[in-house]
Formats: sequence, structure tokens, C-alpha cells
Amino acid sequence: MLPPFTIERPTGLSDALGLLGEDSVPYWGGTELLLAMKMGLLRPRSLIDLKGLAELTGVRRDGDQLVLGAGATHDDLARSPLVRELCPLLADMEGRVGNARVRAQGSIGGNLCFAEPRSDVATVLQALDASVRLASARGERVLPVAGFVQGAYWTARAEDEVVVDIRVPLPAPRGVYLKFQITERPTVAVAAVDRGAAGVRVVVGAVGEVFHSVDAASAADLDGDEIAAAIEPVPDTTGSVRYKRHVTSVHVRRALDALEGAR
Amino acid sequence: MSEAAASEPFSKVTACVNGVQVSRAVPSRTMLSSFVRDDLDLKGTKVSCELQVCGACTVLVDGRPVSSCTYLAADVDGRDVQTVEGLGRGQELHPLQSAFVDNFALQCGFCTPGFLMMAKSLLERNDDPTEEEVKHYLEGNLCRCTGYEPIVHAVLDAARRMRETAR
Repeated sequence: MLPPFTIERPTGLSDALGLLGEDSVPYWGGTELLLAMKMGLLRPRSLIDLKGLAELTGVRRDGDQLVLGAGATHDDLARSPLVRELCPLLADMEGRVGNARVRAQGSIGGNLCFAEPRSDVATVLQALDASVRLASARGERVLPVAGFVQGAYWTARAEDEVVVDIRVPLPAPRGVYLKFQITERPTVAVAAVDRGAAGVRVVVGAVGEVFHSVDAASAADLDGDEIAAAIEPVPDTTGSVRYKRHVTSVHVRRALDALEGAR
Repeated sequence: MSEAAASEPFSKVTACVNGVQVSRAVPSRTMLSSFVRDDLDLKGTKVSCELQVCGACTVLVDGRPVSSCTYLAADVDGRDVQTVEGLGRGQELHPLQSAFVDNFALQCGFCTPGFLMMAKSLLERNDDPTEEEVKHYLEGNLCRCTGYEPIVHAVLDAARRMRETAR
């Protein structure tokens, strides 16, 4: 059983911001937080349940941005007609996160905030050049995903901040998301996008502590072995450093082939 | 009452469980699996991995499947909960249950309540899934004895039976 804690249920963003602090943590689906608490890694005094905040829900288009409420669940996003139309790569990835229960329960914002190195969400959002909007009683700020995710289980979010939404620039690039997975999280994940005049971006997730992002003028300028060599894989039960470099190289090549093939 | 018990924070939970309105005050840290099994004595829901990986503890909250082992009971306040006990009507089995029997889709039966609830939520959103769609949706449920083929066949069979009845 978990150690005791209280649950607070603010109904507006400003009330919620007043409650957050060192031992009072944001809570949405719990798919990451409750597991971390079960493992004894976190022992908050209070869960600040944000599910009553309208500011954190829904998906909408705002000019040249697709705005994803931090509380949108993976399943919401996979099935959203707007996301499927404007950013099919994101919808495809969200439909394959974890399992169907995690997708029904877990939110995109929560996933990003835990900065699990094998997060499908972070890898694809980096490929899409997305940014993260944070709010606290001190004000608001917007960070690129690459600036938000700082390390394994480590983000730029301060204890008194919440992620309000995630913004994907439109038009979203055409792309593919490929992963190799034998447990509930990927061993290697590769997002490859064609950014038109800006060239091609490849993002490798799950292998190192943070995703590895490479831009090039064209797919021909990218080499799977080179990209794999630049990553410091984390060895675990799904493979050694040498093995992970190998599967990385193979999957980068396959992702680039798929990107070319889909042209 | 011990000091620890006196400081235990509680949450009020009023929910509709299998069509019955229930109201309890539970320690805020109570998981939904303990709530249904221990507070409501609905032991059909099984607990195994406690990591949202195996699916044995699946119940539906407002029709969506959740791992009740990693879902706070406090979060079902004001919601609808369905457990495996709510599937059949008295002695009459739900078409999914009949299809599991007819297709030999269980052996020890420990994973079955979870598979049944997952399958129910799948068929509610898609009454005619392909074999691939069934496999993708049930990917997060583990069975260690029967093998998965009879389970996939049972779900497809149940979908067919339910479409025929609905016609």
C-alpha cells in the first residue's frame, strides 16, 4: 500500500498554481506518478488533481499551431479528428503508446513531465519541433521540447509549475515513427520527418538517456551507423550497448527508407 | 485509534458500480482494485503485476479500460464502474463470456476477467474489429496458459454474435 497522502481538487488554474510545491505534486492519470510512488521513488504529501481544470483539456487549432491540452490522453489524441488531419504522425504514435489502458488513462503532459527516456511522446514531439507552455504563480513561459527535457526523468519544470499545453507548429511535416519493442516500452524508437526546405530530421529515442536529434539537408546525408555511434546507449535487460547501437543503426536506416518510400 | 490511523486522509467515493449506487469513505491512497475487491467484495477483478502491464485487474471507468491496481479509488467518485461481475445477467452469460467458453479461451482463468473487460471496451468502440485490431487492443493483457489464439478467436466470435443479435 502507498504511504498516506491527501488529494486536492482545484477547479481553476490559479487555484491549482497556489497549491503546487515541493511536496504537493501535479496529478492527472497517475500512470507514471502512482508507479513512482509504488516504487518508493516519490513520497508526496499531497496530490494536486488537475483533472478539473478546463485550461488543460482539449485539442484546438490556434493559427499556425496545433494546441494539445496537457491533460489530453493518448487515446484522445490518437482518435482526435483534428490531430489525425493536421498531424497524422502524432496520432499514429499516440495510438501505439504503452497499452490500451495506459492510453485511456495517461496524458501527454504527464508523459512529457516524467521524461522517461523511452517516451514515445518526447521523441515524436522533438521531431515535430513542438514547444511546451508552462504556467506558475510567477507567470508563463514557453520552452522547446529539447529545452524542456533535460535528462533521464529530469525536466526544466519547476516544482510550482504546470504544463498547460503543448504546441506543434503547422503545417506539421510528413513523417514516420518506427519502433522496436519487446517489453512495454521501446528498445529503440526512430522518428523521421521531411521538413521540406529545412531538410530531414531524425530523432532517436529510448536508446540513450535523452532523445538524440539530427538535422540534415536530405536523407542521403544521414548514416545509421554514424547516428548510432553518437549515442550513449543505456544497457539494460533488453540489450547491451553494442546491441543497442546495432538496432539503432538498422532502425534509422529503415525509418529513412520508409520516409523516402512514402514520398 | 493509533496516531497513524488518526492522520490518515480519507476521500469520499460515490459511484455506480455494475448498476448499483455505492457510497464509501476510503483512505485516499486506496487503489480501485482494493476498493472493488475488499470494500465491495467483488473478487472477480484479479491483481497480478501491479504495474499496469498484465491487464488482469482491468475494469471500465465510464466505459474506458483502466488498470485498477494503479488507479485511485478516489478518482471514480461520480463515475460509472463496470467489473466482470456486471457482465452476465444472473445465470445468463454475456456473449463474450459464452464465446470464451465455446472457443476454449481460458484455462486457469486468472487473466479472463481482464481480457473480458478489455474486449468489452473494444467492442463498444468497434463492433466489427479485424483480427489485427483485436491483437493490437489486447496487446497489454497477459495470459500464461492458454495461448492467445483462442482468446482472439473468442473476441471475434463474440463480435459476430453481438452484431447478429443487434441486427
